[in-house]
Amino acid sequence: MRKFMGLTKRNLLIYFKDRQSVIFSMLTSIIVLVLYLLFLKQSFVDAAESAMKGLEGLIDKKDIDTLANCVLLVGIIGSALITVPYNCLSTIVNDKENKIDYDISATPLKRWQIVLSYFSASTISAFIMSSVVLTLGLIILQSQGNLYISSVNMFYSYALAFLGSISATAFFMIVMFFFKTSSASGAFFGMLSAASGFVIGAYIPLSQFSNGIQTFCNLFPGTGVTILYRNTILNGLLDKINKDIGGVDNGEFVSSMKDAFTFKGALFGTELSPAQTIIYILAVLIICIIAMILIYPKVYKRK
Amino acid sequence: MQAIKVSNLVKKYKEHLAVDDISFEVNEGELFAFLGENGAGKSTTINILCTILEKTSGEVRVFDKELGKEDDSIRDLIGIVFQNSVLDGKLTVKENLYTRGSYYGLSKSEIDERLSQFMDVFELKEIWNRRYEKLSGGQRRRVDIIRALINEPKILFLDEPTTGLDPKSRKIVWDYIDYLKKEKKLTIFLTTHYMEETRDADNVVILDKGKIIATGTPAELKTKYASSRLVWYTEKNTGNDKLLTDFDFSYDVDHYNVFFKDNLTEFIYKNKEYITDYEILKGSMDDVFLNLTGREMAK
Repeated sequence: MRKFMGLTKRNLLIYFKDRQSVIFSMLTSIIVLVLYLLFLKQSFVDAAESAMKGLEGLIDKKDIDTLANCVLLVGIIGSALITVPYNCLSTIVNDKENKIDYDISATPLKRWQIVLSYFSASTISAFIMSSVVLTLGLIILQSQGNLYISSVNMFYSYALAFLGSISATAFFMIVMFFFKTSSASGAFFGMLSAASGFVIGAYIPLSQFSNGIQTFCNLFPGTGVTILYRNTILNGLLDKINKDIGGVDNGEFVSSMKDAFTFKGALFGTELSPAQTIIYILAVLIICIIAMILIYPKVYKRK
Repeated sequence: MQAIKVSNLVKKYKEHLAVDDISFEVNEGELFAFLGENGAGKSTTINILCTILEKTSGEVRVFDKELGKEDDSIRDLIGIVFQNSVLDGKLTVKENLYTRGSYYGLSKSEIDERLSQFMDVFELKEIWNRRYEKLSGGQRRRVDIIRALINEPKILFLDEPTTGLDPKSRKIVWDYIDYLKKEKKLTIFLTTHYMEETRDADNVVILDKGKIIATGTPAELKTKYASSRLVWYTEKNTGNDKLLTDFDFSYDVDHYNVFFKDNLTEFIYKNKEYITDYEILKGSMDDVFLNLTGREMAK
């Protein structure tokens, strides 16, 4: 156990001691924040305001502002849950490229312990980073107005951070297998940073895309995790808004907000409930772990 | 006791034969040198012995543990200094050594205890909290050696440990190697392409294109494969050429190079009235390699 813990600690240190790597792993989240400050917030608010025509007197403007801020927070966490594990797992490629894996392979560490330590370090790193962002985000938003998040949902948010971390790690463990050099994995990271914001619907809600594109985006577990986050963080606030409206619109406003900001995943035109989304993510996780068990012995097999 | 016994070891990469049916033995406590040019198969052999690479065929035993069957036991017995640094640049010396120690299941106090014996000898304190990437080449090699010793191995593999180091750092590394051999009684398996580094070895194996082409102590190899040379400073003329007709000789700018197997002193004594300005150069390991391969060793 100590051997495994030692290598996991080393993999964690590699990520956290490299400030540039930490910053770059949060690049998409930073871009989401910058775009939000520049124009995304206004477009979110505009979407909400156009849906609340006739209900202006019933809905607190502050709640609309909080709604937009929470959509931002979900986007930041969702993208961090993709880019952080990827960045952390790039240690596998660096180790292979610099023959550090030779040093590790010549120790009494079992091969499965080596693979599991990369997996664990990435999951832990992503969980720490997303939890920090989640905690800071919730504190900042709560200080600006009530978020109406129940303590159960608060706990659920951290459980989701774990689900997002482990599922993204399992997915990227497979991806990393194909890279031989850090320049190749770095180039892929550039594409991933640019694409992940769109895939999880952080820049533009997925509802604005065609069914085909929505299905493609929903294939990635990170998109499902982001959808679950929207439900967890925003449902309390939307319930409060619905209560304020008092049934005048038959729940039309909240329903339109849930459609606009994508509160449900969709695969091949079929909507997924939050429970189905969790089942889908777990299925992807299991498939990736099985693939990992089949693939990785080849990586650490003596050549 | 034999530390390593290699019998008919072969390593093939598709059509390329990297190690071609080699056999040798390393005795416990000796400094064993594996000499050869880049690409001769030295690192491949080390990587096989260290359980990193798979052998194609042959038998390897490390302290009587069979490679391929008792690899975990072998891994506990060995320490390796790789040709290129394999420690983490962003981590400090302390972090690097503690994490590496934990790979062997050592607790913090056990690592502390092991490192304490090297703190002074290897002057670790001054670089303890510095990032590995900020160290000089010599300092890095120092840490690499300590890393290789953290599990208290019975054999230390040094894969070209001084390549790329300046002469001063090279000397420091050699002082450490001497210390480990003499004070710690470690078996040291060294690969090098620097001829002079095999000078103090107990046994030398010369490898060329994956094959062993000679083995023996440095003295044995020099006796067998290198001749002493008389450098006779005089002008070139037919009389002098005639005097040397029984020997292999050449003329270079202002002196004759005359190669001898034996009877050198006798020849000089017999011709002392002619040979007045001269020096005798002993055969070197460079000469051994040159005579064995027909090529000069890359410097």
